[in-house]
Amino acid sequence: MISEEFEFRAPTKLAEALSLLERYGDDAKILAGGMSLVPMMTLGLVRPKTVISFNHITDLNFVIDAKDVIRIGAMTRHDTVAHHDLIKKHLPLLATAAVGIGDVQVRHRGTIGGSLAHADPAADYPPVMLVAGAQFRIQSAKGDRMVKAAEFFTGLMQTAVGAGEVLSEIHVPKLPAGAGSAYLRLHRVEGSFPIVNAAAVIEKGFKSARVAIGGVGESAVMIDVTKHLSKGVSDQSLRAISDAAYDASGDAYGDLNGDTEYRRAMARVYAQRVIKAAAAQIR
Amino acid sequence: MKTPVEVTVNKKKYKVEVDTRMILADMLREELRLTGTHIGCGTGNCGACTVVLNGETVKSCCIIAADANGQEITTIEGLSSSATELHPIQQAFVENQGLQCGYCTPGMVLSTLQLLKDNPNPTEDEIRHGISGNLCRCTGYQFIVQSIQDAAKRLSNGGQPGASQ
Ligand SMILES: Cc1cc2nc3c(=O)[nH]c(=O)nc-3n(C[C@H](O)[C@H](O)[C@H](O)COP(=O)(O)OP(=O)(O)OC[C@H]3O[C@@H](n4cnc5c(N)ncnc54)[C@H](O)[C@@H]3O)c2cc1C
Ligand code: FES
Ligand code: FES
Repeated sequence: MISEEFEFRAPTKLAEALSLLERYGDDAKILAGGMSLVPMMTLGLVRPKTVISFNHITDLNFVIDAKDVIRIGAMTRHDTVAHHDLIKKHLPLLATAAVGIGDVQVRHRGTIGGSLAHADPAADYPPVMLVAGAQFRIQSAKGDRMVKAAEFFTGLMQTAVGAGEVLSEIHVPKLPAGAGSAYLRLHRVEGSFPIVNAAAVIEKGFKSARVAIGGVGESAVMIDVTKHLSKGVSDQSLRAISDAAYDASGDAYGDLNGDTEYRRAMARVYAQRVIKAAAAQIR
Repeated sequence: MKTPVEVTVNKKKYKVEVDTRMILADMLREELRLTGTHIGCGTGNCGACTVVLNGETVKSCCIIAADANGQEITTIEGLSSSATELHPIQQAFVENQGLQCGYCTPGMVLSTLQLLKDNPNPTEDEIRHGISGNLCRCTGYQFIVQSIQDAAKRLSNGGQPGASQ
């Protein structure tokens, strides 16, 4: 039972939801899968005056092939992201990230939009969004804009989504032909959040290479490692990438799962491992 | 504040007015008196509140009751038609000592139902992944894993104990 009173709304159309969001502004909270919001309300950590459920709006639940990008509706559940053929084919690292989120029940209910909007610093999706160069569609009653992944995550559990706005779609470019990609996570037990996670995309012929690391700052950090890999993967290039990962994780926080130095050391390890894994996928 | 909710639970239609602050697990237990759904943590971690929502297992402590309006739910009470005739999964848990205090059991049984629907012949590793959203503080899991292995055999054998294939 939640202790604080709130008003509950369950629109069935996006337009209706947007006008409710406009009317209630900061007093309203969007309810997606509820896997983060409902426990926070039960614990009294979040006390919205109005809760607007998006669970009855069916047109935000889709995965579409749109030429160069895969369009994913914000209400698409983690389980669908994990097993959808289009995602497995064009963005295997995204499917890998989704399949490791929480547990079966969490994946059945939690949504990709909810996770991205929640912006936990060690969530599974953000490093993937950064290396894949995703764009986020943000809508309100008055506007409709696209924001790049690098500008979407603005701080600790903060995003570019403002009052009255909703993250409605995620557009993820298909990996370039022949590119290698990988996603890895370090976690204590099955079902727990990553302590540190990492994603990488390397273009065929090492034309470009990016790695992003989560759990080592207020939000995931991305490093362009193209110059280190100009001659391919070697002990020397991996050492340079490891140093770059250490430097990029200077804002790492400490908690029960690992202190700052541990996270920075793991940033080194996971940056190297994810690059090796991605390079092995180049074809 | 009250909200009207219409749900189908275990194939039966219910029309109730619930306190908007109720989570689905509260509604099932307190309004519908289906107390087989347990609440362990109330924060999405233990899986004791697992129910089947529109064909997929979910944690009913993370769903606002009013949000279940119009949906179809199966709880542990919906698995067998009588107290004397258990579902093969329940029978397998009983015969393999897959429970001690029983608090986690409704959730474990429903996660098993989901697992065996998706994967009728799981490996031990797949079983452990399948129940990773359900915590048990009594059994040490080994007898639960054995119960699920036995349940898989029973289900592929028309509900009867015995070897599969
Ligand atoms: C036991 C457990 C284990 C978990 N393990 C992991 C894990 O390993 N890795 C991981 O990444 N996550 C994990 N999670 C979190 C999970 O992925 C959640 O699903 C996710 O954080 C929130 O998504 P949701 O759809 O449930 O959103 P909700 O809880 O409904 O919402 C979260 C927040 O985002 C806002 N919001 C939701 N949708 C939108 C939108 N479209 N536009 C704007 N704002 C929006 C809400 O208002 C709220 O503030 C775990 C959760 C649990 C309970
Ligand atoms: S009571 Fe729902 S997960 Fe623990
Ligand atoms: S049997 Fe007691 S918690 Fe599992």
